[in-house]
Parts: sequence; C-alpha cells; structure tokens
Amino acid sequence: MSLLKTPAGWPSILLPKADGGAGKDAFSGLRHAIHLGPTGTIAEVAASGLRGHGGSGYTTADKWRAAALAGRDAGVSTRYVVVNGYGADPSSLTDRTLLAENPAGVVEGAAIAAWAIGAEEAIIAVRAGETAAIAALEGAIAAAGAAGLLGNDAAGTGHRLEVEVRTVQGAYMLGEETVLIKALEGKRGQPEQRPPHPTEDGLWGKPTVVQNAQTAAAAAWILAHGAAEFRQAGTSEDPGTILVDVRGPAGGGIAEVPFGTTLAAIAKLAGGTGAGHEIKAVLVGGPSGGILPADHLTTPYTFEALRVAGAHVGSGSVIVADERACIVDLARLLTRYCADEACGKTIPCRIGTRRMAEIGERLAGGTSRAGDLELLVDLAEDIVGSALCDHERLATLPLMSGLRYFRPEIDAHLERGECPAGVCHPSALGRPPATATTTPSATQPSSASPA
Amino acid sequence: MSFVPGIGIVKGMGLTLRRFFEPKATVKYPEQKADVAAKFRGRLQLLLDEHGALKCETCFQCAQACPIECIDMGGMDTKSRFHVHWGPPETYGERREESAIRRSGRTVPDPAFNSFQPLELDALDEALRRYDYDPRRMLEILEATQAIYGHLPVAAIKKISQLTGAWYAPIYGVATYYGHLRFESPEAKAQVAAMAARRPSEDAYLAHLGASLAGGSGVGGPS
Ligand SMILES: Cc1cc2nc3c(=O)[nH]c(=O)nc-3n(C[C@H](O)[C@H](O)[C@H](O)COP(=O)(O)O)c2cc1C
Ligand code: SF4
Ligand code: FES
Repeated sequence: MSLLKTPAGWPSILLPKADGGAGKDAFSGLRHAIHLGPTGTIAEVAASGLRGHGGSGYTTADKWRAAALAGRDAGVSTRYVVVNGYGADPSSLTDRTLLAENPAGVVEGAAIAAWAIGAEEAIIAVRAGETAAIAALEGAIAAAGAAGLLGNDAAGTGHRLEVEVRTVQGAYMLGEETVLIKALEGKRGQPEQRPPHPTEDGLWGKPTVVQNAQTAAAAAWILAHGAAEFRQAGTSEDPGTILVDVRGPAGGGIAEVPFGTTLAAIAKLAGGTGAGHEIKAVLVGGPSGGILPADHLTTPYTFEALRVAGAHVGSGSVIVADERACIVDLARLLTRYCADEACGKTIPCRIGTRRMAEIGERLAGGTSRAGDLELLVDLAEDIVGSALCDHERLATLPLMSGLRYFRPEIDAHLERGECPAGVCHPSALGRPPATATTTPSATQPSSASPA
Repeated sequence: MSFVPGIGIVKGMGLTLRRFFEPKATVKYPEQKADVAAKFRGRLQLLLDEHGALKCETCFQCAQACPIECIDMGGMDTKSRFHVHWGPPETYGERREESAIRRSGRTVPDPAFNSFQPLELDALDEALRRYDYDPRRMLEILEATQAIYGHLPVAAIKKISQLTGAWYAPIYGVATYYGHLRFESPEAKAQVAAMAARRPSEDAYLAHLGASLAGGSGVGGPS
C-alpha cells in the first residue's frame, strides 16, 4: 500500500521525509541515550509525553520505569524488550510500512528501550512473510553493530546490547502483548491474566517491555531531537504523530498524521468517498473498531476522544464508508471476524463473542428473535466486565457503536425485515415483527459467516 | 416486542414445582451408592452446539489436566479449522505407559514410537538437534517438522515429545493454535482444500469487508 501525500508542514517523525529531512546522523538518538544514562533516557521520554502507538496509549516512560525497577530488590538481572511489529489487523499496514520505511528508527528505538530498562536483548517480532521488512531490519541491525553500538561492549559502555528479529505468524491474537510473548516462548497463544503485567512477569518470566514498533521509532526520534521538539506535534495529552491506514471508496494508503487531526482530515487524505457519494460512517480501529457516523467526523484522532466516541485507535485503521454500506452487515462481519479470532481461553471470549456475532447475523438475515437487542447489550456488558484480554472487550464495539449511532437502520432490520441500504437480504422480508413468544426462529446457518 | 412483567418468576416457579414432584435422582453418597457397573468410570463426551459444531477448542487442556493422561482427541475443532487425527487405537495402552514413564522423570524408550505410521525420522532428528531438543523452541520445531513432512504427522509429534521431554498434549495444544500449522497430509488433497477453505483467512476477511462496503454480498444474498 502506498504512502499518502500529507499537507506541507505536517511533522515527519516516524517516516523519514523523501528529501531525507529527518536530519541528524544515523543512530544519534541511541548515542544520546547512552550519554544520558538509563535514568536520563527515561526522563527524556517522560518529558516528551510519548504514549504507546499499539492501541492502548499507555505512557511509555511509565512502562520503562516499571520494567527497570521490577525485581531489582530480588536481584533479577535479566530483562527483555519486545518490539511488536506484528501488525495484527489485516486492514492496517501501518506497522509493516514503518518497518520497511524506517527500519533504523525501529532498531534504534529497541536498543534505546533495552538500554533504558537495563535489558541486554531486544526482540523485534515481525510477521513471517514480510521479507522486505525483515531484510531492512537485519540491515539496520548490522549497521548499528558496525557502528559499535550493539554487541558485548555496546558503544564502549561495557554493557551487552543485542537486537534480534524473530518471526511469528498464524493468528490475529498474536498482536496482543501477552499472546506475543507466548508465541516467542513457543507456546499456545492465549492471553495471560494481568496483573502481573509483562513489565514484571513477561518473556520467560522476566520483566519485559512490549512496545509497538511506532512507539520505538518515536522514542528514537525523541532522543535524537529532544522532547521539546517532539511536543511541537500533536496535542498536549497525545504528543507526536501516528501512522494511519486510511481506506475509502476513492482510494487509500498510509499517512503519518499528528495526534489530534480530525477524522474528516484523515478521510480527506484518502480522497474521501470520491464524487457522487456521501460519507455515511467511518470505521475507526480495525475489526474491533467503532463505527462512527458522519457527524462525528470532527472527532480529533486522540486516544481519549476516540474512546469517548465509542471507537479506538487500535490498529490505526480508518475505513470510510459511503451510503452503499449497511451498518448491520458491516457490524456482523466485523463481530464474526473477532469471534473467529478470539482465542477461546475464557467463556466471555469463546461463547460471548460468538453469541454476539449470531445476533448480528440474525439481524442481517431477518431472523431476529424477541429480545435480541436487549440480549446484545447484556452480553456486551458481561463481556466487557469479565473479559480476560482487551480483544473481547473491544470486539463488542462494532455492534455497540452501531446500536448507539445507527438505531433506525438496525430497527428497520429488526422490526420490518428491511435493509435500507439494500445490502442484506433478510429472508423474512415482509414477515410480521418478532413477538414475545419464546419459540426461537430458524437459526442462522453458519455458512452465512464470512469464515 | 411485548414484555409481561413477572413472567420470568412464574416460569421459574413452574419449573421448581414440577421438579418438586419428580422422583429424586440424587443419591445420599457415600451412605448409598448408585447402581453402576464395577468398571464404570464416567463417560467423557464432547458436546455439539445447536449448529452441530463441536464445542471443543482443541486446546488439549483437558488432555493436559487428566491425571492419567487417558484423554486423546480427534476430529474437527469448533471452528472447523483443524482436523486433528486420533492416534491408532492399538497404541493407546502404550501411550498411557509412556506418560507414566514421563511423569517418573525418565525418558521414554524409543521403539514404542515407531508403531505409528511408518515415517522417515532422520530429517526430524536433524531438525531437533538444530534446536537443541529445547522445548522452549517448540514453535520453531513444529514449523521445521511441517517443512519436512508438509504437515504434522502423529509419529513426528510423538517423537518430538519423546526427545524434548515436552508432554504430548501441550505440543498438540500449540500446534492446533497456529493457523499455518497443518495436520492434513498434503496427499489428502481434498481434505487439505476443505480444511483450508474453512480456516479464517485474512484475504477472505478483506474481500468480505470490501464487498460489504461496496454494498454487495450481505447475509442471505447471492454469494
Ligand atoms: C487483539 C489485540 C491485537 C493487538 N495487535 C497489536 C499489534 O498488531 N501491534 C501492536 O503493536 N500492538 C497490538 N496490540 C496491543 C498490544 O497488546 C500492546 O498493548 C502493545 O504492543 C504495547 O505497545 P505500546 O505501549 O507501544 O502501544 C493488540 C492488542 C489486542 C488486544
Ligand atoms: S481440548 Fe480444550 S476445549 Fe476441547 S474438551 Fe479439552 S479442555 Fe475442552
Ligand atoms: S481473546 Fe480469548 S481471552 Fe481474549
């Protein structure tokens, strides 16, 4: 997927400008971090206000500090950094693009994080099959090694510092941090109960910082250019920039946008809907994203604003839908994908997400039962309240945001067996509305699901 | 949708009342004992859901938890992604023995493992050596195994279990999780194709998403 042209004057932190405008010589961030020492490095990152780009927006410096201190008293000396370059969402190529475009930044950021928390090894986890990205990373690691910045005596500090690329594949859930750790340990990829967080009990039971690849690259930039300059971009709560993968009827691509950019401006980067169509909704956050209506296009792209609106940053995916899309169809498709990819470790995950997907499919198929919407809301509440990992909590978003913003469209399916967008073909078209009798109507054949 | 207040309570009380007059199934154990055959040990059964899909995730945690490791699994998993093969029945006795030996901390004797399907194990031996027989590198070992045989044969998994010391059930549990690992022999072309079609794939997801956004292929429509 191509890089989108952004307005002149937008900052370039994660992706180097075509004219090489990222400036400064190679690995100057790592050199500066070594000069500052671990505590000074964490202080600089704290001053920058950097938040994780992997979806949850956790403050990076807090994570580093926790991992640096974990087990100190008990004499734990082994620590790890895992850079999450998996890019779980098939509809978002942001991280994969970053790895190919700015491999040096990711490698440098991994080394800086390792240096800051006192780890000797940083692992960059990449999708098997991303051969270009893997080669680019290997090249950057070799360059850093040749510059004397990695190895048994990294930059003359007497400390060992290694960066290694590991490939993983085979499941959507591998993007989740505790699952990724399991995969690196060669285990079945199911999330772990937290606390203890990976910062205390991570890879091989050691304190581990799991950091998104963009976060790592941003950290490298901060050490090279200073926290103050980083804060020039974005908002005070969410400084800096983030990569988004925008797709719409008129095209799409990857763009680096400052935090706080409105959804309308992001949609515009991909050409909006093109001529003759109106934006009906934007799906923000990937398969477990929220579906926001057109009047929410003024929402700024920040962790908090999106959460309040019922979506999330997630994978950085922003998908523009015009009037041809049916919200019910879209939501049931997304929910089915989330249910199929749920790991099955916990009941809300194994059963709850599937029941939600079935309700969505019944809506789309015109076979809704009495009380389906109440059940849907009930299920969502239970799942959010009892889920083990974020996936299940977020998997409720497509249907819940649909219910919140597109109620008339859902009611048309439910009560009249009609699809206003003409996408669904409810088999019960013209059937009288579902009544309170408890006899279940025909179950949705599972072949109607996308998988 | 109409809603009759109190209907739930009435229904619930109705059920209670009915049960009240039914004969009791509860036995005052241990004073009384149910009348079962001397060798009865309960029955393990995998249930189907209302769509006829198996309710099992093939996570093998039951097999892992079973104190005498008598649980083996086969068939299709819940999402119809994996066809897990049963080991041949004649090896069950040997398997129990093997797990007993493993629990005792001794390595499992070799010959028993050759009783599965005939399999050329030299390449696997070599791969295991490469990974230092380290159970912590199980995913890589399984990937290497699949590279050799085109799938994961039971005999190979048993061999891996034996040489790495990792239990058979957890190895299976790892293998059934990852979408790129297969249990179907490449020769069974029809089965390979059928299973591949059932697995959730990213391409299929993107295609459905695109179709949905463009106003096509909704539920019940022509596909
Ligand atoms: C289902 C699921 C998928 C995820 N996928 C990714 C992913 O592909 N890449 C990523 O960096 N983080 C992903 N995350 C978030 C990670 O769990 C973790 O929060 C992140 O890697 C931490 O890095 P950060 O602090 O730099 O954001 C995912 C989380 C969930 C629940
Ligand atoms: S394999 Fe897992 S899901 Fe299947 S029966 Fe055993 S414990 Fe349950
Ligand atoms: S996806 Fe199964 S516990 Fe979260």
